[in-house]
Amino acid sequence: MKRTATYAAAAIAAVVLAVLPAFLGAYPLNVARSVMTYMALAVSWDMLLRSGQISFGIAGLFGLGSYASALLVLRAGMDPVLSLVFATLLTGAIAYALGFAVLRLRAMYFSITTLALAEIFRIVLHNLHDFSGGPEGVVLPGVIFGGAAPALYWLCLAGLAITLGTSWYFERSKLHLALTAIRNDETSARASGVDIFKYLLVAFTVTSTLQGMMGAIQVQSYGFTTPETAFDANFTLLPLAMALLGGIHSTLGPIAGAVLLGIASEWLKLKIPYGHLVVYGIIIVLVILLMPRGLVGLARNRRAGRRA
Amino acid sequence: MILEIQGLTCGYGKLPVLRDVSLSIGAESVALIGPNGAGKTTLINAVTGLVKPWGGSIRFDGRDVTGHATHEIARAGIALVPQERELFPGMTVADNLALGAAYIPRAQGREERLLEQCLRLFPILKERFRQIVGTMSGGQQRMVAIARALMANPKLLILDEPSLGLQPSIVSEVFDRLSELKKDVAILVTEQNVKESLRSVDRGYVLENGAVVLEGAASDLAKDPHVEASYLGL
Repeated sequence: MKRTATYAAAAIAAVVLAVLPAFLGAYPLNVARSVMTYMALAVSWDMLLRSGQISFGIAGLFGLGSYASALLVLRAGMDPVLSLVFATLLTGAIAYALGFAVLRLRAMYFSITTLALAEIFRIVLHNLHDFSGGPEGVVLPGVIFGGAAPALYWLCLAGLAITLGTSWYFERSKLHLALTAIRNDETSARASGVDIFKYLLVAFTVTSTLQGMMGAIQVQSYGFTTPETAFDANFTLLPLAMALLGGIHSTLGPIAGAVLLGIASEWLKLKIPYGHLVVYGIIIVLVILLMPRGLVGLARNRRAGRRA
Repeated sequence: MILEIQGLTCGYGKLPVLRDVSLSIGAESVALIGPNGAGKTTLINAVTGLVKPWGGSIRFDGRDVTGHATHEIARAGIALVPQERELFPGMTVADNLALGAAYIPRAQGREERLLEQCLRLFPILKERFRQIVGTMSGGQQRMVAIARALMANPKLLILDEPSLGLQPSIVSEVFDRLSELKKDVAILVTEQNVKESLRSVDRGYVLENGAVVLEGAASDLAKDPHVEASYLGL
Protein backbone atom coordinates (compact mmCIF):
# COMPACT_ATOMS: atom_id res chain seq x y z
CA MET A 1 0.00 0.00 0.00
CA LYS A 2 2.65 2.47 1.11
CA ARG A 3 4.92 1.24 -1.67
CA THR A 4 2.23 1.82 -4.30
CA ALA A 5 1.80 5.38 -3.04
CA THR A 6 5.56 5.93 -3.27
CA TYR A 7 5.64 4.64 -6.84
CA ALA A 8 2.68 6.81 -7.79
CA ALA A 9 4.32 9.91 -6.29
CA ALA A 10 7.56 9.13 -8.12
CA ALA A 11 5.73 8.64 -11.43
CA ILE A 12 3.83 11.93 -11.04
CA ALA A 13 7.05 13.76 -10.16
CA ALA A 14 8.77 12.27 -13.23
CA VAL A 15 5.95 13.36 -15.56
CA VAL A 16 5.85 16.88 -14.10
CA LEU A 17 9.63 17.20 -14.42
CA ALA A 18 9.59 15.90 -17.98
CA VAL A 19 6.97 18.40 -19.24
CA LEU A 20 8.42 21.37 -17.33
CA PRO A 21 10.21 22.87 -20.40
CA ALA A 22 6.80 23.51 -21.99
CA PHE A 23 6.04 26.07 -19.27
CA LEU A 24 9.40 27.52 -18.28
CA GLY A 25 11.75 29.94 -20.01
CA ALA A 26 15.51 29.54 -20.51
CA TYR A 27 16.56 31.00 -17.14
CA PRO A 28 14.35 28.85 -14.89
CA LEU A 29 15.38 25.82 -16.94
CA ASN A 30 19.01 26.70 -16.35
CA VAL A 31 18.36 26.95 -12.60
CA ALA A 32 16.58 23.59 -12.76
CA ARG A 33 19.61 22.03 -14.47
CA SER A 34 21.90 23.39 -11.82
CA VAL A 35 19.66 21.99 -9.06
CA MET A 36 19.42 18.62 -10.81
CA THR A 37 23.20 18.41 -11.27
CA TYR A 38 23.84 19.13 -7.59
CA MET A 39 21.06 16.73 -6.65
CA ALA A 40 22.66 13.91 -8.64
CA LEU A 41 26.02 14.64 -7.02
CA ALA A 42 24.45 14.76 -3.55
CA VAL A 43 22.68 11.43 -4.04
CA SER A 44 25.79 9.75 -5.46
CA TRP A 45 27.88 11.05 -2.54
CA ASP A 46 25.32 9.66 -0.13
CA MET A 47 25.39 6.26 -1.86
CA LEU A 48 29.05 5.83 -0.90
CA LEU A 49 28.42 7.33 2.52
CA ARG A 50 26.02 4.45 3.24
CA SER A 51 29.12 2.25 3.47
CA GLY A 52 30.64 4.70 5.98
CA GLN A 53 33.19 6.20 3.57
CA ILE A 54 33.15 10.01 3.41
CA SER A 55 34.46 11.19 0.04
CA PHE A 56 35.67 14.74 -0.55
CA GLY A 57 36.50 13.94 -4.14
CA ILE A 58 33.18 14.67 -5.89
CA ALA A 59 34.61 17.68 -7.74
CA GLY A 60 37.56 15.58 -8.88
CA LEU A 61 35.44 12.94 -10.58
CA PHE A 62 33.00 15.54 -11.87
CA GLY A 63 35.89 17.47 -13.42
CA LEU A 64 37.43 14.29 -14.77
CA GLY A 65 34.17 13.46 -16.55
CA SER A 66 33.96 17.02 -17.88
CA TYR A 67 37.45 16.98 -19.32
CA ALA A 68 37.16 13.44 -20.65
CA SER A 69 34.03 14.38 -22.60
CA ALA A 70 35.42 17.71 -23.86
CA LEU A 71 38.76 16.22 -24.92
CA LEU A 72 37.12 13.24 -26.64
CA VAL A 73 35.22 15.71 -28.81
CA LEU A 74 38.14 18.08 -29.37
CA ARG A 75 41.07 15.67 -29.72
CA ALA A 76 39.39 12.55 -31.04
CA GLY A 77 36.61 14.22 -33.01
CA MET A 78 34.00 12.13 -31.25
CA ASP A 79 30.30 12.86 -31.52
CA PRO A 80 29.21 14.84 -28.39
CA VAL A 81 26.48 12.37 -27.42
CA LEU A 82 28.85 9.43 -27.82
CA SER A 83 31.48 11.30 -25.81
CA LEU A 84 29.07 11.42 -22.87
CA VAL A 85 28.99 7.63 -22.80
CA PHE A 86 32.73 7.18 -23.21
CA ALA A 87 33.63 9.92 -20.71
CA THR A 88 31.31 8.28 -18.16
CA LEU A 89 32.88 4.87 -18.69
CA LEU A 90 36.39 6.33 -18.63
CA THR A 91 35.77 8.03 -15.28
CA GLY A 92 34.44 4.73 -13.96
CA ALA A 93 37.53 2.86 -15.18
CA ILE A 94 39.87 5.39 -13.55
CA ALA A 95 37.89 5.25 -10.30
CA TYR A 96 38.02 1.44 -10.39
CA ALA A 97 41.82 1.49 -10.72
CA LEU A 98 42.22 4.15 -8.02
CA GLY A 99 39.83 2.23 -5.79
CA PHE A 100 42.42 -0.48 -5.26
CA ALA A 101 44.64 2.12 -3.58
CA VAL A 102 42.25 4.49 -1.80
CA LEU A 103 39.87 1.85 -0.46
CA ARG A 104 42.64 0.45 1.70
CA LEU A 105 42.22 3.65 3.69
CA ARG A 106 39.47 4.40 6.16
CA ALA A 107 37.80 7.33 7.86
CA MET A 108 39.73 10.59 7.71
CA TYR A 109 42.57 9.07 5.67
CA PHE A 110 40.15 8.05 2.94
CA SER A 111 38.50 11.50 2.94
CA ILE A 112 41.77 13.42 2.73
CA THR A 113 43.07 11.17 -0.03
CA THR A 114 39.96 11.68 -2.16
CA LEU A 115 40.34 15.42 -1.64
CA ALA A 116 43.98 15.20 -2.73
CA LEU A 117 43.02 13.13 -5.81
CA ALA A 118 40.66 15.88 -6.95
CA GLU A 119 43.46 18.41 -6.56
CA ILE A 120 45.89 16.19 -8.49
CA PHE A 121 43.45 15.85 -11.42
CA ARG A 122 43.04 19.64 -11.47
CA ILE A 123 46.77 20.36 -11.36
CA VAL A 124 47.54 17.82 -14.08
CA LEU A 125 44.94 19.27 -16.45
CA HIS A 126 46.07 22.77 -15.50
CA ASN A 127 49.61 21.99 -16.64
CA LEU A 128 49.10 19.82 -19.73
CA HIS A 129 48.91 22.91 -21.94
CA ASP A 130 49.00 21.24 -25.34
CA PHE A 131 46.58 18.47 -24.48
CA SER A 132 44.07 20.05 -22.11
CA GLY A 133 44.36 23.73 -22.96
CA GLY A 134 46.00 24.52 -19.64
CA PRO A 135 44.56 27.21 -17.39
CA GLU A 136 42.52 28.75 -20.23
CA GLY A 137 40.60 25.50 -20.48
CA VAL A 138 38.84 24.15 -23.53
CA VAL A 139 36.17 25.57 -25.81
CA LEU A 140 34.05 23.11 -27.74
CA PRO A 141 33.02 23.80 -31.35
CA GLY A 142 29.42 23.97 -30.19
CA VAL A 143 26.96 23.17 -27.42
CA ILE A 144 25.27 19.77 -27.58
CA PHE A 145 21.82 19.69 -29.31
CA GLY A 146 22.52 23.20 -30.71
CA GLY A 147 22.04 24.62 -27.22
CA ALA A 148 18.25 24.16 -27.22
CA ALA A 149 17.20 24.83 -23.60
CA PRO A 150 14.58 22.03 -23.37
CA ALA A 151 17.00 19.46 -24.85
CA LEU A 152 19.73 20.42 -22.38
CA TYR A 153 17.17 20.19 -19.59
CA TRP A 154 16.09 16.70 -20.65
CA LEU A 155 19.69 15.56 -20.94
CA CYS A 156 20.37 16.68 -17.37
CA LEU A 157 17.11 15.10 -16.22
CA ALA A 158 18.19 11.82 -17.83
CA GLY A 159 21.47 11.97 -15.90
CA LEU A 160 19.56 12.59 -12.69
CA ALA A 161 17.13 9.76 -13.46
CA ILE A 162 20.00 7.31 -13.96
CA THR A 163 21.52 8.42 -10.64
CA LEU A 164 18.25 8.17 -8.71
CA GLY A 165 17.53 4.80 -10.29
CA THR A 166 20.92 3.48 -9.24
CA SER A 167 20.49 4.85 -5.73
CA TRP A 168 17.07 3.22 -5.53
CA TYR A 169 18.65 -0.06 -6.60
CA PHE A 170 21.36 0.37 -3.95
CA GLU A 171 18.62 0.79 -1.32
CA ARG A 172 16.49 -2.14 -2.40
CA SER A 173 19.03 -4.82 -3.32
CA LYS A 174 21.23 -7.06 -1.20
CA LEU A 175 23.94 -4.41 -1.64
CA HIS A 176 22.10 -2.34 0.96
CA LEU A 177 22.65 -4.96 3.67
CA ALA A 178 26.34 -5.28 2.83
CA LEU A 179 27.00 -1.52 2.76
CA THR A 180 25.06 -0.91 5.99
CA ALA A 181 26.90 -3.77 7.65
CA ILE A 182 30.28 -2.35 6.59
CA ARG A 183 29.30 1.05 7.98
CA ASN A 184 28.20 -0.48 11.27
CA ASP A 185 31.09 -2.84 11.93
CA GLU A 186 33.65 -4.21 9.51
CA THR A 187 34.72 -7.16 11.65
CA SER A 188 31.17 -8.40 12.04
CA ALA A 189 30.51 -7.80 8.36
CA ARG A 190 33.52 -9.94 7.44
CA ALA A 191 32.50 -12.63 9.89
CA SER A 192 29.08 -12.65 8.19
CA GLY A 193 30.71 -13.48 4.88
CA VAL A 194 30.68 -9.98 3.37
CA ASP A 195 33.61 -9.41 1.00
CA ILE A 196 34.20 -5.85 2.23
CA PHE A 197 36.69 -4.77 -0.40
CA LYS A 198 34.51 -5.98 -3.26
CA TYR A 199 31.46 -4.06 -2.09
CA LEU A 200 33.40 -0.89 -1.34
CA LEU A 201 34.98 -1.09 -4.79
CA VAL A 202 31.56 -1.51 -6.41
CA ALA A 203 30.14 1.46 -4.47
CA PHE A 204 33.16 3.68 -5.14
CA THR A 205 33.27 2.85 -8.85
CA VAL A 206 29.54 3.25 -9.41
CA THR A 207 29.25 6.56 -7.54
CA SER A 208 32.38 7.93 -9.27
CA THR A 209 30.94 6.92 -12.64
CA LEU A 210 27.73 8.82 -11.88
CA GLN A 211 29.71 11.91 -10.84
CA GLY A 212 31.77 11.72 -14.04
CA MET A 213 28.58 11.39 -16.06
CA MET A 214 27.15 14.58 -14.55
CA GLY A 215 30.45 16.35 -15.33
CA ALA A 216 30.31 15.22 -18.94
CA ILE A 217 26.70 16.43 -19.25
CA GLN A 218 27.67 19.76 -17.71
CA VAL A 219 30.58 20.45 -20.09
CA GLN A 220 28.59 19.52 -23.19
CA SER A 221 25.75 21.78 -22.02
CA TYR A 222 27.98 24.84 -21.61
CA GLY A 223 30.43 24.22 -24.44
CA PHE A 224 33.55 25.15 -22.48
CA THR A 225 35.35 24.47 -19.24
CA THR A 226 38.50 25.41 -17.34
CA PRO A 227 40.28 23.55 -14.55
CA GLU A 228 38.85 26.05 -12.08
CA THR A 229 35.28 25.55 -13.35
CA ALA A 230 35.36 21.77 -13.73
CA PHE A 231 37.08 21.08 -10.41
CA ASP A 232 35.35 23.90 -8.50
CA ALA A 233 35.27 23.03 -4.78
CA ASN A 234 31.55 23.89 -4.84
CA PHE A 235 30.92 20.61 -6.65
CA THR A 236 32.15 18.90 -3.50
CA LEU A 237 30.81 21.26 -0.85
CA LEU A 238 27.28 21.98 -2.09
CA PRO A 239 26.24 18.33 -2.59
CA LEU A 240 27.63 17.56 0.84
CA ALA A 241 25.63 20.40 2.41
CA MET A 242 22.50 19.33 0.54
CA ALA A 243 22.76 15.71 1.69
CA LEU A 244 23.38 16.79 5.28
CA LEU A 245 20.44 19.20 5.25
CA GLY A 246 18.06 16.69 3.70
CA GLY A 247 19.23 13.69 5.70
CA ILE A 248 21.95 11.18 4.94
CA HIS A 249 21.73 7.42 4.26
CA SER A 250 18.70 7.70 2.00
CA THR A 251 17.74 8.75 -1.51
CA LEU A 252 14.97 11.08 -0.40
CA GLY A 253 17.12 13.18 1.97
CA PRO A 254 19.64 14.45 -0.59
CA ILE A 255 16.76 15.11 -3.03
CA ALA A 256 14.95 17.31 -0.51
CA GLY A 257 18.19 19.04 0.49
CA ALA A 258 19.13 19.75 -3.12
CA VAL A 259 15.76 21.30 -3.95
CA LEU A 260 15.83 23.56 -0.90
CA LEU A 261 19.48 24.60 -0.99
CA GLY A 262 19.63 24.70 -4.80
CA ILE A 263 16.79 27.19 -5.06
CA ALA A 264 17.97 29.10 -1.99
CA SER A 265 21.44 29.40 -3.50
CA GLU A 266 20.10 30.92 -6.72
CA TRP A 267 18.20 33.46 -4.70
CA LEU A 268 21.13 34.17 -2.40
CA LYS A 269 23.44 34.61 -5.39
CA LEU A 270 21.24 37.48 -6.54
CA LYS A 271 20.88 39.02 -3.09
CA ILE A 272 24.43 38.62 -1.77
CA PRO A 273 26.67 37.98 -4.79
CA TYR A 274 29.89 37.72 -2.78
CA GLY A 275 28.68 36.33 0.51
CA HIS A 276 26.23 33.59 -0.36
CA LEU A 277 28.67 30.84 0.54
CA VAL A 278 28.87 32.24 4.08
CA VAL A 279 25.14 31.61 4.40
CA TYR A 280 25.78 28.08 3.19
CA GLY A 281 28.37 27.56 5.88
CA ILE A 282 25.96 28.81 8.53
CA ILE A 283 23.27 26.41 7.27
CA ILE A 284 25.66 23.43 7.53
CA VAL A 285 26.68 24.38 11.07
CA LEU A 286 23.06 24.81 12.18
CA VAL A 287 21.95 21.54 10.59
CA ILE A 288 24.74 19.54 12.22
CA LEU A 289 24.05 21.11 15.61
CA LEU A 290 20.27 21.07 15.61
CA MET A 291 19.19 18.16 13.40
CA PRO A 292 22.06 15.77 12.73
CA ARG A 293 19.74 13.41 10.88
CA GLY A 294 18.54 16.10 8.49
CA LEU A 295 15.01 16.97 7.40
CA VAL A 296 14.10 13.38 6.60
CA GLY A 297 15.31 12.28 10.04
CA LEU A 298 13.30 15.06 11.63
CA ALA A 299 10.15 14.03 9.78
CA ARG A 300 10.71 10.40 10.75
CA ASN A 301 11.09 11.32 14.42
CA ARG A 302 7.91 13.40 14.29
CA ARG A 303 6.00 10.49 12.84
CA ALA A 304 7.44 8.06 15.37
CA GLY A 305 6.61 10.55 18.13
CA ARG A 306 2.98 10.78 17.03
CA ARG A 307 2.63 7.02 16.91
CA ALA A 308 4.03 6.59 20.42
CA MET B 1 37.14 -33.73 12.79
CA ILE B 2 35.43 -30.46 11.98
CA LEU B 3 38.24 -28.19 13.07
CA GLU B 4 41.84 -29.32 13.41
CA ILE B 5 44.53 -26.90 14.50
CA GLN B 6 48.13 -28.10 14.47
CA GLY B 7 51.21 -26.32 15.79
CA LEU B 8 49.62 -22.90 15.47
CA THR B 9 51.96 -19.97 16.12
CA CYS B 10 50.62 -16.46 15.90
CA GLY B 11 51.09 -12.95 17.26
CA TYR B 12 51.00 -9.23 16.65
CA GLY B 13 53.99 -7.34 15.27
CA LYS B 14 57.04 -9.01 16.80
CA LEU B 15 55.19 -10.22 19.86
CA PRO B 16 54.32 -13.92 19.78
CA VAL B 17 51.02 -14.73 21.49
CA LEU B 18 50.31 -18.36 20.61
CA ARG B 19 53.10 -20.92 20.77
CA ASP B 20 52.60 -24.24 19.05
CA VAL B 21 48.93 -24.68 19.89
CA SER B 22 47.13 -27.83 18.74
CA LEU B 23 43.42 -28.35 19.20
CA SER B 24 40.65 -30.30 17.55
CA ILE B 25 36.88 -30.21 17.56
CA GLY B 26 34.54 -32.91 16.34
CA ALA B 27 30.76 -33.01 16.56
CA GLU B 28 30.78 -31.62 20.08
CA SER B 29 31.06 -28.46 22.11
CA VAL B 30 34.44 -27.35 23.34
CA ALA B 31 35.40 -24.63 25.79
CA LEU B 32 38.65 -22.74 25.62
CA ILE B 33 39.36 -21.40 29.06
CA GLY B 34 42.17 -19.34 30.45
CA PRO B 35 42.96 -16.01 32.06
CA ASN B 36 43.08 -12.60 30.39
CA GLY B 37 45.90 -12.39 27.88
CA ALA B 38 46.29 -16.15 27.49
CA GLY B 39 45.61 -15.90 23.75
CA LYS B 40 42.02 -17.12 23.52
CA THR B 41 40.82 -14.31 21.29
CA THR B 42 43.99 -14.47 19.20
CA LEU B 43 43.35 -18.16 18.58
CA ILE B 44 39.83 -17.38 17.40
CA ASN B 45 41.04 -14.50 15.25
CA ALA B 46 43.55 -16.82 13.61
CA VAL B 47 40.89 -19.45 12.91
CA THR B 48 38.53 -16.87 11.40
CA GLY B 49 41.27 -15.16 9.39
CA LEU B 50 41.14 -11.87 11.27
CA VAL B 51 44.87 -12.22 12.00
CA LYS B 52 47.36 -14.10 9.85
CA PRO B 53 48.93 -17.18 11.47
CA TRP B 54 52.73 -17.22 11.57
CA GLY B 55 53.00 -20.97 11.36
CA GLY B 56 51.10 -24.22 11.77
CA SER B 57 47.95 -25.29 9.99
CA ILE B 58 44.21 -24.89 10.42
CA ARG B 59 41.99 -27.41 8.69
CA PHE B 60 38.24 -26.97 8.61
CA ASP B 61 35.96 -29.73 7.37
CA GLY B 62 38.87 -31.43 5.61
CA ARG B 63 40.05 -28.26 3.88
CA ASP B 64 43.14 -26.21 4.65
CA VAL B 65 41.95 -22.70 5.53
CA THR B 66 45.17 -21.38 7.07
CA GLY B 67 45.42 -17.66 6.35
CA HIS B 68 42.27 -17.51 4.20
CA ALA B 69 40.23 -14.30 4.10
CA THR B 70 37.62 -13.93 6.84
CA HIS B 71 34.63 -13.78 4.50
CA GLU B 72 35.77 -16.97 2.73
CA ILE B 73 36.08 -18.80 6.05
CA ALA B 74 32.63 -17.54 7.02
CA ARG B 75 31.21 -18.88 3.75
CA ALA B 76 32.91 -22.24 4.34
CA GLY B 77 30.78 -22.66 7.48
CA ILE B 78 32.44 -21.05 10.50
CA ALA B 79 30.19 -18.49 12.17
CA LEU B 80 31.78 -16.11 14.66
CA VAL B 81 30.16 -14.18 17.46
CA PRO B 82 32.97 -11.70 18.16
CA GLN B 83 33.72 -10.26 21.56
CA GLU B 84 31.59 -7.19 22.34
CA ARG B 85 31.42 -5.32 19.00
CA GLU B 86 29.38 -8.14 17.65
CA LEU B 87 26.37 -6.44 16.04
CA PHE B 88 25.25 -3.89 13.52
CA PRO B 89 23.79 -1.48 16.08
CA GLY B 90 22.05 0.79 13.58
CA MET B 91 20.07 -2.05 12.00
CA THR B 92 16.89 -3.76 13.17
CA VAL B 93 16.83 -7.29 14.56
CA ALA B 94 15.25 -8.38 11.28
CA ASP B 95 18.03 -6.84 9.18
CA ASN B 96 20.75 -8.24 11.44
CA LEU B 97 19.34 -11.73 11.01
CA ALA B 98 18.79 -11.29 7.27
CA LEU B 99 22.39 -10.19 6.95
CA GLY B 100 23.59 -13.29 8.75
CA ALA B 101 22.30 -15.42 5.87
CA ALA B 102 22.52 -13.02 2.93
CA TYR B 103 26.13 -13.61 1.90
CA ILE B 104 26.56 -17.24 2.89
CA PRO B 105 25.92 -19.69 0.04
CA ARG B 106 25.17 -22.59 2.43
CA ALA B 107 22.34 -20.56 3.98
CA GLN B 108 20.71 -19.60 0.68
CA GLY B 109 17.20 -20.88 0.21
CA ARG B 110 16.92 -21.95 3.85
CA GLU B 111 16.47 -18.52 5.36
CA GLU B 112 12.93 -19.18 6.53
CA ARG B 113 13.76 -22.41 8.28
CA LEU B 114 16.85 -20.88 9.89
CA LEU B 115 14.88 -17.85 11.03
CA GLU B 116 12.22 -20.05 12.54
CA GLN B 117 14.89 -22.00 14.41
CA CYS B 118 16.48 -18.78 15.74
CA LEU B 119 13.17 -17.36 16.92
CA ARG B 120 12.31 -20.63 18.61
CA LEU B 121 15.65 -20.54 20.41
CA PHE B 122 15.34 -16.86 21.39
CA PRO B 123 11.60 -16.05 21.55
CA ILE B 124 12.32 -12.52 22.79
CA LEU B 125 13.66 -11.67 19.32
CA LYS B 126 10.24 -12.28 17.83
CA GLU B 127 8.78 -9.52 20.02
CA ARG B 128 11.66 -7.20 19.18
CA PHE B 129 11.84 -8.09 15.51
CA ARG B 130 11.54 -4.50 14.20
CA GLN B 131 13.56 -2.85 16.96
CA ILE B 132 16.91 -1.15 16.30
CA VAL B 133 19.49 -3.40 17.92
CA GLY B 134 21.47 -0.53 19.45
CA THR B 135 18.52 0.26 21.71
CA MET B 136 18.29 -3.23 23.24
CA SER B 137 19.80 -4.51 26.48
CA GLY B 138 23.19 -6.20 26.56
CA GLY B 139 21.75 -9.68 27.02
CA GLN B 140 19.27 -9.28 24.18
CA GLN B 141 22.02 -7.95 21.94
CA ARG B 142 24.11 -11.01 22.68
CA MET B 143 21.15 -13.19 21.69
CA VAL B 144 20.78 -11.28 18.43
CA ALA B 145 24.48 -11.81 17.78
CA ILE B 146 24.22 -15.55 18.37
CA ALA B 147 21.08 -15.76 16.26
CA ARG B 148 22.74 -13.85 13.46
CA ALA B 149 25.65 -16.29 13.49
CA LEU B 150 23.21 -19.22 13.36
CA MET B 151 21.48 -17.71 10.34
CA ALA B 152 24.62 -18.60 8.39
CA ASN B 153 23.73 -22.29 8.85
CA PRO B 154 27.23 -22.94 10.25
CA LYS B 155 29.01 -26.23 10.86
CA LEU B 156 31.03 -24.61 13.60
CA LEU B 157 29.86 -21.80 15.84
CA ILE B 158 32.58 -19.83 17.61
CA LEU B 159 31.66 -17.61 20.53
CA ASP B 160 34.24 -15.27 22.01
CA GLU B 161 33.39 -14.68 25.68
CA PRO B 162 29.60 -14.81 25.36
CA SER B 163 29.17 -14.06 29.06
CA LEU B 164 31.20 -10.85 29.00
CA GLY B 165 29.30 -7.95 30.54
CA LEU B 166 26.13 -9.95 31.17
CA GLN B 167 24.35 -10.47 34.46
CA PRO B 168 24.64 -14.04 35.88
CA SER B 169 21.03 -15.09 35.16
CA ILE B 170 21.43 -14.14 31.49
CA VAL B 171 24.75 -15.98 31.38
CA SER B 172 23.07 -19.24 32.43
CA GLU B 173 20.34 -18.63 29.88
CA VAL B 174 22.88 -18.15 27.10
CA PHE B 175 24.68 -21.34 28.09
CA ASP B 176 21.40 -23.26 28.31
CA ARG B 177 20.68 -22.24 24.74
CA LEU B 178 24.15 -23.34 23.71
CA SER B 179 23.65 -26.80 25.18
CA GLU B 180 20.44 -27.08 23.14
CA LEU B 181 22.37 -26.08 20.05
CA LYS B 182 25.20 -28.56 20.30
CA LYS B 183 23.02 -31.30 18.86
CA ASP B 184 23.07 -29.54 15.48
CA VAL B 185 26.30 -27.61 15.33
CA ALA B 186 29.82 -27.91 16.71
CA ILE B 187 30.64 -25.16 19.20
CA LEU B 188 33.89 -23.54 20.29
CA VAL B 189 33.46 -21.11 23.14
CA THR B 190 36.10 -19.05 24.95
CA GLU B 191 35.30 -18.18 28.51
CA GLN B 192 36.62 -16.67 31.67
CA ASN B 193 33.46 -17.84 33.34
CA VAL B 194 34.88 -21.33 33.80
CA LYS B 195 32.16 -22.70 36.03
CA GLU B 196 29.29 -21.95 33.66
CA SER B 197 31.13 -23.00 30.55
CA LEU B 198 32.39 -26.35 31.89
CA ARG B 199 28.85 -27.14 33.02
CA SER B 200 27.49 -26.97 29.47
CA VAL B 201 30.25 -28.22 27.16
CA ASP B 202 31.65 -31.68 26.39
CA ARG B 203 35.36 -30.97 26.46
CA GLY B 204 37.74 -28.20 27.37
CA TYR B 205 41.21 -26.84 26.75
CA VAL B 206 43.06 -24.65 29.23
CA LEU B 207 45.20 -22.02 27.58
CA GLU B 208 47.88 -20.21 29.60
CA ASN B 209 50.54 -17.86 28.24
CA GLY B 210 49.78 -18.88 24.69
CA ALA B 211 50.09 -22.64 25.16
CA VAL B 212 47.65 -25.45 25.95
CA VAL B 213 48.45 -26.65 29.48
CA LEU B 214 45.52 -29.01 30.02
CA GLU B 215 42.81 -30.68 28.00
CA GLY B 216 40.11 -33.19 28.72
CA ALA B 217 36.44 -33.91 29.27
CA ALA B 218 34.63 -31.00 30.89
CA SER B 219 33.68 -33.06 33.93
CA ASP B 220 37.32 -34.09 34.49
CA LEU B 221 38.59 -30.54 34.04
CA ALA B 222 36.11 -29.25 36.59
CA LYS B 223 37.65 -31.65 39.13
CA ASP B 224 41.25 -30.97 38.14
CA PRO B 225 43.21 -29.49 41.07
CA HIS B 226 44.93 -26.89 38.87
CA VAL B 227 41.63 -25.72 37.36
CA GLU B 228 39.95 -25.71 40.75
CA ALA B 229 42.72 -23.63 42.26
CA SER B 230 43.17 -21.19 39.38
CA TYR B 231 39.67 -20.71 38.00
CA LEU B 232 37.01 -22.02 40.31
CA GLY B 233 38.35 -20.40 43.46
CA LEU B 234 38.09 -23.59 45.48
